Amino acid sequence: MHERTAAQIIADEFLIARAKILELAATLDRLDRADGDIENSKQLVLLSQGMQILCDSESDKAKRVQLLMSRQYEPEWIEKMAIRRRDVEGS
Amino acid sequence: MEYIDPHLHMVSRTTDDYETLARMGCVAISEPAFWAGFDRGSVDSFRDYFRQLTDFEPKRAAQYGISHYTWLCINAKEAENVTLSREVIAMIPEFLDAKNVLGIGEIGLNKNTRNEATIFLEHLDLAVKYNQQILIHTPHLEDKYQGTRMILDMLMGDSRINRSRVLVDHVEEHTIEHVLENGFWAGMTLYPVSKCTPQRAADMIERYGPERLMANSAGDWGPSKPTAIPDLIMEMKKRGHSKELIRRVVYENPKTFFSQSKPFVHG
Repeated sequence: MHERTAAQIIADEFLIARAKILELAATLDRLDRADGDIENSKQLVLLSQGMQILCDSESDKAKRVQLLMSRQYEPEWIEKMAIRRRDVEGS
Repeated sequence: MEYIDPHLHMVSRTTDDYETLARMGCVAISEPAFWAGFDRGSVDSFRDYFRQLTDFEPKRAAQYGISHYTWLCINAKEAENVTLSREVIAMIPEFLDAKNVLGIGEIGLNKNTRNEATIFLEHLDLAVKYNQQILIHTPHLEDKYQGTRMILDMLMGDSRINRSRVLVDHVEEHTIEHVLENGFWAGMTLYPVSKCTPQRAADMIERYGPERLMANSAGDWGPSKPTAIPDLIMEMKKRGHSKELIRRVVYENPKTFFSQSKPFVHG
């Protein structure tokens, strides 16, 4: 499979990424100018945590942002919901 | 380039859209049954909808040289009405011999509730009983990760299910690995805001390879773009990917998957 080099990607996508950062910055400015207090907003906290992921040194940023914005999975959900298991192996 | 859109709700689109799709290279569509934007009141509403999917839409598509296939179910949003869901599931076999029905779908979860899970399992029973392929809807946004894991638990807890005959749709960066590594097919939905962009889909193809992976527009009555697959083709071309790789994702893979159902005859 053809893979672009890092230099190719930054050349191709710098302006696109720049525009996205500006959109985010303008959204934060809009919030700043608006009346009302959202300091305790869960959505604002999530956005802030998401932006921290963008700035840290770890990889897998898209996946980590997705998981940050997701409800947690509980492996024991079937028992908690009392769902009838369908394991019919051997039947 | 010729392509197949494996997930497109044409009942919500105009005839002009069929013409545009044909001009852009679309040769076949598969249309899963879904939510109409409101909860339907009776089993007869679904019977009429299934007539539309199995009779009217194939004729409309054929005017533009597009093959139309479909999947039948009651969707997860309406599964909270368990009584109606069971009536619909009991009625579905009336349509399973229609010449464009590929299987049961798009079944799945929406808000990951007990009723949704119960009706999902009853759809699995139906698919197994009639030897049907399965197309699965995974939830949106914050519910997707939890719901996808729950769906996989139910599928993998049932030894009757042939994983190579199940397509799990709307995968994103945090769910694709779970789907592929367990032997299922995966679909990436190119959908503004709430799902995946052509750029992120191309990233996932680069990262996970083309094996058992396809892309769809899931065009419907909401903000969506029925011609999103040509956008993915363009993105992959811009990145320098080969025609063979692109064709594998947008044509060969859906063809291979659908060919496991008898009615699929394209190509």
